[in-house]
Amino acid sequence: MTDEQIYAKLQGVFDDVFVSNVTVTSELTAKDVEEWDSLSHVSLVLAIEEAFGVRFKVGEVEATKSVGDLAALIKTRLGG
Amino acid sequence: MLAQRDPGFDEALRSATGAVIGFSQTLALNTLRKKARKAGLAPEGERKIRLGIVGGPSLRPLADLIEHFVASMCRAEVELWIGDFDNYLSEILDETSALYAFAPDAVFVLPADVRCRPRGSWTSPYEALEAEANDHADELKALADAVHARSGAEVVLANFRLPGTFDPGPIRGSSLASEYGFKKAVNARLGRLAGGSLHLCDVEFVANRMGTLAASDERAWFESKQPGSPELMVLVAREVAAVVGALHTAPKKVAILDLDNTLWGGVIGDDGLEGIELGTTSPRGEAFRAFQSYLKSLTQRGVLLAVCSKNGHDKAVEPFEKHPEMVLRLDDIACFKANWEPKSENIRLIAQELNLGLDSFVFLDDNPAEIEIVRQFVPEVIGIDLGDDPSSFVRTVQDARLFEVAAITQEDVRRASQYKQETARRELQGTATDMGAYLASLEMAADVQRFAAVDVPRISQLTNKSNQFNLTTVRRTEAEIHELIADPTKVGFTVRLSDRFGDHGLIAIVVGSIEGETFRIDTWLMSCRVLKRQVEDLALNEIFRLAADAGCSAVLGIYRPTTKNEMVREHYPRFGFRLLEESPEESRYLFDAGDYEVRETRIAIAGRP
Repeated sequence: MTDEQIYAKLQGVFDDVFVSNVTVTSELTAKDVEEWDSLSHVSLVLAIEEAFGVRFKVGEVEATKSVGDLAALIKTRLGG
Repeated sequence: MLAQRDPGFDEALRSATGAVIGFSQTLALNTLRKKARKAGLAPEGERKIRLGIVGGPSLRPLADLIEHFVASMCRAEVELWIGDFDNYLSEILDETSALYAFAPDAVFVLPADVRCRPRGSWTSPYEALEAEANDHADELKALADAVHARSGAEVVLANFRLPGTFDPGPIRGSSLASEYGFKKAVNARLGRLAGGSLHLCDVEFVANRMGTLAASDERAWFESKQPGSPELMVLVAREVAAVVGALHTAPKKVAILDLDNTLWGGVIGDDGLEGIELGTTSPRGEAFRAFQSYLKSLTQRGVLLAVCSKNGHDKAVEPFEKHPEMVLRLDDIACFKANWEPKSENIRLIAQELNLGLDSFVFLDDNPAEIEIVRQFVPEVIGIDLGDDPSSFVRTVQDARLFEVAAITQEDVRRASQYKQETARRELQGTATDMGAYLASLEMAADVQRFAAVDVPRISQLTNKSNQFNLTTVRRTEAEIHELIADPTKVGFTVRLSDRFGDHGLIAIVVGSIEGETFRIDTWLMSCRVLKRQVEDLALNEIFRLAADAGCSAVLGIYRPTTKNEMVREHYPRFGFRLLEESPEESRYLFDAGDYEVRETRIAIAGRP
């Protein structure tokens, strides 16, 4: 899966989770989105796992600082 | 649809919600619903439900899912009050807590899984552990009672999902010291305590339904204290909505049924009474019959059945009156509409005649076009498209969850029937050693009939299929059976048997030839399911009765050995027939009609040829 495809799919997941419109970029962080609190974060992670068919290990997502880190993690878990 | 502000959005969202099983899909629908509301598209809910959610694990995103299902399935505006992580004890016990200030209509309590563990050890006596499990359930019941006493709210209490790991080994089921055994005991007790204002959210069941391993998610627990896997949360949320829905909406009262390819296979107008698929003749026929049995069971819950079919009336009622394998009879149908008018019109007529609101109707049909017409012209009625595989009809209707029993009625039913069943079972146990009393307790009833045209497919099929209890193994085609019915020198009869546990259908066939003074038994076959139930005796009585009617002085029995019918080698001698001649191909036995004494049976005879 290319970076472009990953970001496109992430955009879809963000649209499903957040009521407000959020544009996904690699620099985006939770601070930039009002709805993105620790509670909706749980939903977001679970939805990402389901959408990509990946499974993160315990603590992995917490270590990511931005959507760019998250996309890189997804790529690793997808096996390339 | 949202972007175009399509007025059908709400209905489409509801129908998507009905089918959804995935976590992110549900979440996406919930987000959609909120976006629609923000855009002013979602209609006001028909009512408001104030729902409090408290519990041991983290309650988000579970609460979002619950909100979505309750709002969508109960057509209600939902206001949520969500307790803090693992703070439910003080939220419930403190009379001044914000939970009570919220004035909830209903409260969902999801107790902490981690507290539901036995304190005793493997060597603790069973009774001590059982008392501990009961105490745990009783404490939860006390909490629920406190919620109700302080707020007047209905309480939905979750029970516990069982662990899916092998540990500690096979002992897990036999000791209450295992987490598995202990939780099962707690759940059993909770089931007994439910009733009144306490309703159970059966987490154990929904987790079992999906698989206990798939229901658990250790990582989600360590990271954010989730109660289980995302898929489990969807099912739990749905279950909460089903319980809350049953509290706030009336269940459906009427099932409107199509006939052709819904209650039987084929088209009665084209295929005729003998051509439709129904009953033990074929696997499809069995599936249709099972569907009818399910529908019949709905009537015992108080659901009315109505027929709405495109057929001539006379043709449509024929199977109800004459087909031996029909489970549903005209008595079971509260309103019968078979004509060529549009079904939407007929459904309105049925509503008038039954004097019930259209919103209590559910329409079942195998034809998606009919479902669509009804959806368009009578939108109050919920349509269920049964599809084209009758083996899945029952499941399809059950999964729609429209005829579920409300908690209170269930309680009443349980009280009424349980004692009767229990007494009956004990009686049965007490007499199991006495064969005669056992047979009597079965309350068997037989329907003995001369061969009828409508049974020809079944008769032919049984003669071709039966091997073990089959004295001569003569195979017969349907055409041959028809000839036999027309032949005055032949006599054939069938036996159907039912008992208190159900209907066994057509289980015995006898064909006799009248040759002067002798009544020759050409075919005698029986289903092995009913062996040693005195059907043999009953059939023999019938044979001698028919022989006497035909003026015969003797009955001739023939046994032709095959590789499969060893079990009836001694059949005729056992009944006192004397051997006439014997060869490797066949043995012939005779019984003088004058010497025959009618054999006593415990079977009541319903029909008479």
